[in-house]
Parts: sequence; structure tokens; C-alpha cells
Amino acid sequence: MTGTGPNITAIAVFVAFVSLSLFITWWASKKTHSAGEFYTAGGKITGFQNGLALAGDFMSAATFLGLTGLAFIGGADAMLYTVAITVSWAFILFAFADRMRNLGRYTFADVVAYRLHPERMRVLAAAGTLTVAIPYLIAQMVGAGSLIETLFNIPYLGAVMIVGTLMTIYVVFGGMLATTWVQVTKAVLLLAGGTVLLVLVFARFGFSIDTLFERAGDLHPRGRGVFLPGVLYDDPISIISLGLAFICGTAGLPHVLMRFFTVPDAQQARNSIGYAVGIIGYFQAAIMIVGIGAIALLIGDGEYVDEAGRITGGANMVSIHLSRLVGGEVFFGLIAAVAFATILAVVAGILLSASAAVAHDFYARVIRKGDISDDAEVKVSRFATVVIAGVAMGLSVLFQNVNVAILSTIALAVAASVNFPAIFLALFWSGLTTRGAVAGGVTGLVVVVALIILSPTVWVNVLGNANAVFPYAYPTLFSVAAAFAVTITVSLTDRSERATTDRAGFPAQLVRSEIGEKP
Amino acid sequence: MSDEADILSDPEFQRILTLRSRWRWGLSGLLIGAYLIWAVGGIYYSAAYAAPFMGIALPWGMAVGLVIIALSIVLSIAYVRIVNRLEAEEIVERDKHQ
Repeated sequence: MTGTGPNITAIAVFVAFVSLSLFITWWASKKTHSAGEFYTAGGKITGFQNGLALAGDFMSAATFLGLTGLAFIGGADAMLYTVAITVSWAFILFAFADRMRNLGRYTFADVVAYRLHPERMRVLAAAGTLTVAIPYLIAQMVGAGSLIETLFNIPYLGAVMIVGTLMTIYVVFGGMLATTWVQVTKAVLLLAGGTVLLVLVFARFGFSIDTLFERAGDLHPRGRGVFLPGVLYDDPISIISLGLAFICGTAGLPHVLMRFFTVPDAQQARNSIGYAVGIIGYFQAAIMIVGIGAIALLIGDGEYVDEAGRITGGANMVSIHLSRLVGGEVFFGLIAAVAFATILAVVAGILLSASAAVAHDFYARVIRKGDISDDAEVKVSRFATVVIAGVAMGLSVLFQNVNVAILSTIALAVAASVNFPAIFLALFWSGLTTRGAVAGGVTGLVVVVALIILSPTVWVNVLGNANAVFPYAYPTLFSVAAAFAVTITVSLTDRSERATTDRAGFPAQLVRSEIGEKP
Repeated sequence: MSDEADILSDPEFQRILTLRSRWRWGLSGLLIGAYLIWAVGGIYYSAAYAAPFMGIALPWGMAVGLVIIALSIVLSIAYVRIVNRLEAEEIVERDKHQ
């Protein structure tokens, strides 16, 4: 920021949001007693509400702030992301929505454990959930810390404490019901704020898309070259890897999959993802227009962009600067507060999914083998929530200077390479066996971590080597292929007794996955 | 178990199963295919992607990207409607059997 103190509107809107979210949590806490209520709001969320919450889960600060910044820097190439995100949600709808809802109860582990060895699959699913959730949580919290530091003049440590404490309160007291309503509130705020921003930017160009793009092409240092693809990635492998990271990764995010179970039935699950695709598609298109508008409005304005073309405060600040330029101090404060609210709502959802993995999948189902009372399971979940939140807060302080993009890449790539192949093959391939799924999951994890370490983001930028061993930013093309290949090969050659049971369970699972609970 | 075997061998269930999987993989393939062709095509036809779209400054590549986003939304709405209708048929069919 250009030396301004905390913005009064930002603080007022943020305090209003936090008060409302705490009221929601208090209201939800009176309705949250059983494990089903804690994990999935008792399955009583409507399709439209859940659609907003799902869209909210994915419209994180990373997409709102990060992608506008990417459009500013990468021009046309940013669309590789926005289009992949929208397509990935449509794919989740087509491939996963019905069958997941019909087979699961609380987490995606219920689905992969349906006919396979329950304990082994739950350990794998819980590990897959935590390796996605922890890096994702840290990425969000580190991002939040720096953002809040800039926007509200609160020290980093204080910002992490605020975010960490609030997310813990939402989840511990209000469970999924509070988490969902906080997410819905934020999604509405973000959609409204984003739409006003879009309209204000458009108004600057007389609502002409022609003038907007012409001005951006005139002002950008690369001229109309900003619309040439191939600036961020110029080889097919990188581009396919990036596409797979989103298409398979989003379909493997535990906190997204968990939302399938918060609605009463498969039809509502389907409807809710239909709504989510519409909301996300609209928002992604809007982000691209706003990002190109930022080129046309911010470049040449010495206050926001320096001589070298660098954005004051970093690329993540593009939409924040833009909101101040087109909407003045009040609107800028509103957008800043919404960005903060966005982070809070997203971390709460991720935290709940991590807590369900530990308490439900690992403790209740594996350690206690299901021999646990509902009351006790909820207590364990609340305890797990507090512990995981504490760990995430500690790691966020420790990793303050880590590149947030690496953590997000890890989270999405693990979701794509560990969770996605297991769920996909469990749902659609009768030949999948427990041994195959476990071998494939471990392979996916090892390959992802190894390739990320050897990639330019870590090998060159962090470890300081001259050339990366693995030249691509996203490992997904290789890791997803390896996970599928190993899962299928091991399953086909699996002659164990368990394998026979696994395969024999498919017809019953197929019927249940198609017609739901009541045959 | 015999309940499930009954349902599995029911030709009506099989018909709906086939229809649903045709829509599922057809629409997924269409969208993912369109995305990959568009995304990879940008490397080889970058000049064409940057060219103005039908006389306005919006570049072709981004216009097509916006069309794929719109297509995702339209196909999602279509899919939800189709499967909701199929499921309604399925339930009617099942009730007739019982």
C-alpha cells in the first residue's frame, strides 16, 4: 500500500463478517451434536446452498487474487488456468457426483473402502487427505498472513493467530453447518464484490470489450504480444500436465469431495455441482476480463506500477489496486475485507476435512474398528481439529518465507496422483483390488514429491542448482500416469484371497452407486 | 445379494446404466478434449490466437477460451436435466416392479 494506514471500511466490513460468522457458529453449535451433523451437517444442506459453498471452496484468495495477477503478467496464458478450472468442475459433475453421493457418508474414504479392505483403504485415504490438507492449509495461511499484513497493518504472527483461531472456532463449535454457512456468506460477498469490480472496470471503457482489449494491447510493454499464448509455458507436456493437475486434482480434493455428503441425495449432489459449475465459470471469465482490464488501467499509473512494470506489493495485489482505482477507498476496503473473509472460509473447510480424516477414518474406523459411540467420535473430531489447527499455525509461522505456489502445487498434485486414481478406479473398474490401490497410491505420492523436488520451482529456485533435473513445473502427467499404471498392473496380477473379495464386491457397489440407499 | 442380482439383470436398469455412462464419458471427453486441443494449439498457432476476433480487439484464443467456459456451463445444465429425468424414469420403473 502506498503508506496509508488501515482502511476504516476494510476493518468495519471485516468486523461485520467475523461477527456474523461467529453468530452463525453459535446458531450451528446448537444443531451440531452427532457425528453426521458434525461432518456433513446431517445431510440437510440444499442443492443451491451447497453449490454456493462448493464454488466458495474453490474461489479462494489464490484464484481471486492470484489469477488476476497472473492475467496481468501472463496475459492470454492465464486462461489456461481459468478454463481448466471450469472444465474440471464439469468433469466432477459428470464422472463423480452421483456415484460418490450414493456410496459415501462422511468422507471420500467411505467410497474407496466400500468394497475394498476397509482399514487399509482408510489409512491410504487419511494419508492422502492429510498430505493435501496440510500443505493447502499452510499455503492459505502464509498467503493470508502476508495479505493481512499489507492490508490491515497487522503483524504476520498476529494475522496467522487471527485466521487460525477463527477457523478453529468455526469447526470445533459449528462443524460442517457453520463451515458451510460461513462459506456461503463469503461466496455471496465475493461474487457481489467481483461483479461490481467487473462492472466498474468495464464502465471505464464505455462497456466496450473492444476498447478494453485495445487499450491493454496498446499499454502493455509487449504490446498485443500480451495476447500471444506460450509466455508461461511453451511445450505440450507442461500444458497437458497443468490441465491434468486441475482436472484430476480438483476431483481429488478432500474438502470438495466431503461436500457431496452434505446434501440429502444424489439428485441434490448433482444439482449442487451444476450450480457450482455455473458460478465458477462465471467467476473465472470475470477474473480474466478484470485481469486484462488491470493491464489497461494500472500500467502507466505510477502509483501502482513502477518503471520496470512491477506491481507495487506484488502480483497478488492487482485486484486490490484495481478496486481502489475504479471504486475509491470505500470499495477498496470492501474488497480487502472480502479477500480476508475468503481465506477464513476456505481454511475452515480444509481443516474440517483433515479432522474428519484423522477422527473418522483413522481413529474411529481403523484404531477402534468402528466400535465407538457417536458422542465419543465427535469429541475426538473436535480434539483433532484443535491439534491440526495448532500444527498448521506453527508450520505457517515456520514457513513464512516459503513460496506459496509450491505448497499449492504439492496439494493439487497429490490430490491428482493419490486420491483421484483410487477414487476413479474404485468407482469404474471392477478389477481394482486393495493391493493395487495401495501400491498405486504410494507410487503416486513418491513420484509427485520426487518430481516436485527435481522441478525448477524447488531444484533451481529453492536449492539454487543451475538446471532442473525435471524440466516441467507440474509433475501430474507423469505422476498420474505412474499411479494408474501401477494400480492397474498390481491389481491385474493380484492373486490374493482379498483380491477375489474386492472384485466380487463390484456388482453390488455398482447397483448401490446408481440407485442409492434404498434398493 | 439376490436383490442386487435382480436389479443388475433387469434390462431397464441396464438400459439406463448404458445411457448414463454414454452421457458421462461423452460429455467429459468432449470438454476435456476441447480444452486440451485449445490449450496445446496455442503453442503452434500463437499468431492466430492473438489475432483480433471478428473485428474486435478481443483475441481469438481468449474468445475460444470463453466459449469453452460457456460450453462447460451449458453442458452441465444439460447433464443435470438429462440425468434427473433418467433417474425419475428409473424410480417409476422400480416402483412398478415392487
